[in-house]
Amino acid sequence: MVKNYLLAIWAIIKKDAKIFFRYPVNAIFRIFEPIIWIAPVYFLALSFQINGENIGFHEYTGTTDFMAFIVIGSIVGGFVSAVLWGMGFSLKSEMDAGVIESNWLTPIPLWVQLIGRSIFSLIITSLNVLMTGFLVWLLFGFNIGNRILEALITLIPMLIALYGLGFGIAALVLITNNANNIIDISNFLLNILSGESFPITVLPRGIMFISLALPLTYGYDAIRGILLGSNTLLPLNIERWILIGFMILGVFIGYRILVRTEKHCKTMGNIGFH
Amino acid sequence: MLNGAFAVFKREMKIMLRYPSWFIPMLIWPVIFPLGYLFTAKALSGTGNTSLAQFQNFAGTTDYTTYMLIGTTIWMWINSMLWTFGSSLRVEQVRGTLESNWLCPIPKVSLLIGYSLFQILISFVFIVVSVLEFKIFFNFEFIGNPLLAFLIIIVSIPAVYGLGFVFASLVMWAKEANSMVFMVRGIMTIFCGITYPLEVLPNWMRNISEFIPMTHSINALRRVISSGAVLVDIKREIYILIISGAILMTLGMIAFNYTQNKVKETGTLGHY
Repeated sequence: MVKNYLLAIWAIIKKDAKIFFRYPVNAIFRIFEPIIWIAPVYFLALSFQINGENIGFHEYTGTTDFMAFIVIGSIVGGFVSAVLWGMGFSLKSEMDAGVIESNWLTPIPLWVQLIGRSIFSLIITSLNVLMTGFLVWLLFGFNIGNRILEALITLIPMLIALYGLGFGIAALVLITNNANNIIDISNFLLNILSGESFPITVLPRGIMFISLALPLTYGYDAIRGILLGSNTLLPLNIERWILIGFMILGVFIGYRILVRTEKHCKTMGNIGFH
Repeated sequence: MLNGAFAVFKREMKIMLRYPSWFIPMLIWPVIFPLGYLFTAKALSGTGNTSLAQFQNFAGTTDYTTYMLIGTTIWMWINSMLWTFGSSLRVEQVRGTLESNWLCPIPKVSLLIGYSLFQILISFVFIVVSVLEFKIFFNFEFIGNPLLAFLIIIVSIPAVYGLGFVFASLVMWAKEANSMVFMVRGIMTIFCGITYPLEVLPNWMRNISEFIPMTHSINALRRVISSGAVLVDIKREIYILIISGAILMTLGMIAFNYTQNKVKETGTLGHY
């Protein structure tokens, strides 16, 4: 069974790669896209700099290296988006292209198909991250120290936990048949609330309370703490345990929601409606 | 031609109303989109607003909230226009309905005019909703004349939709909407000073900014809304918007006609 699942995942990756490289403009652009998001924030930071230093930013975070802060946020945020879009949007594309029913007729569970759809997205995001890091370092300069392996180990449980979230988003797409808005808003809100591009200590109290309840916040915070030595919300080890707990619970709950939604859609017969 | 455009308008309205969740993003985006920039600006200002004086030196104001809200609203308008023009033709290619629409004995540009009418209506509602929400959530103050701000938006329409026509042609060539939208809106984000004063850009980038009509729309709106500028103060921007609108509309028509002839010759209209 596992072998069959792996074969299916491999087939999905190959298909996604084929579609991706069929549109070379898209493929080239994906490499440079993060620069377009980072450049405006760089210029925003310039407009606040005193003698080339982000003094005000240091008061909140303990570091003046705003660019490193942003690059790390953008890298982690890239992985969050890859999972959410890779899983949620794939269903909508299949609905539009009229192939979702035939895919569901294969003896491969939906969750395996969704994992397959997310993997190519993650591969491209990883390439993106490397390219972004290099280009931003070249253009704007930043320093992230030498504890990269430790940061990667912290990132892994967070990435796995995101699959649970991805399953939940995919279930929502199946029920509402409206992928763009759901994924766009969830992704954006998650990034804002978990502090992708700013320390959450700037948030008003009511919103900060929500941020502190999101495990992703501790992912961003821990990785920045490791790489930049910035002030963390909780001790690093506690943040790591929160991420591991999030991984176990998130995947379990997301999976249960997806299975129930899949059954509901099959019963109602509205799989391909859009 | 107008009948065709009106039919497209009606169809787009029908599709939009078929998905009743459309109003949720319209309510949510104006509030949440600027938040990332606003909180970043707050973090950059420092706990005691240490760095805010530096921002004031460049932007002429310490009120970065109003400054950014104006920029992000125009950005969201352009973004929505780009998605409408980029994805409408593309979705029809994917669904296989583009060729049947193209066979209708109407000028093909009426398809784009129909999309434009639909988009203008949606954008108008969006801008009104945004201003109301800004008042509620961000204490947005309108110092200048709201009618003058409305005039700036009206004068910007030909430039915005001319750009949309060029964009629709590009998407038909490249057969890829997403990356094209990301590229054009990315250029706007960097060069038009959506969230920061253009004074921080290197000279060569500022020169490019001068050629983008939206830079002038944003500048004029900021001066009217935040500083209470009157018509005489922004006449340079108004002239630039009128001239660039005429140029972009003409370019848009030429690009669309050329592209439709090309895809018919090569038989690639429905390819995606």
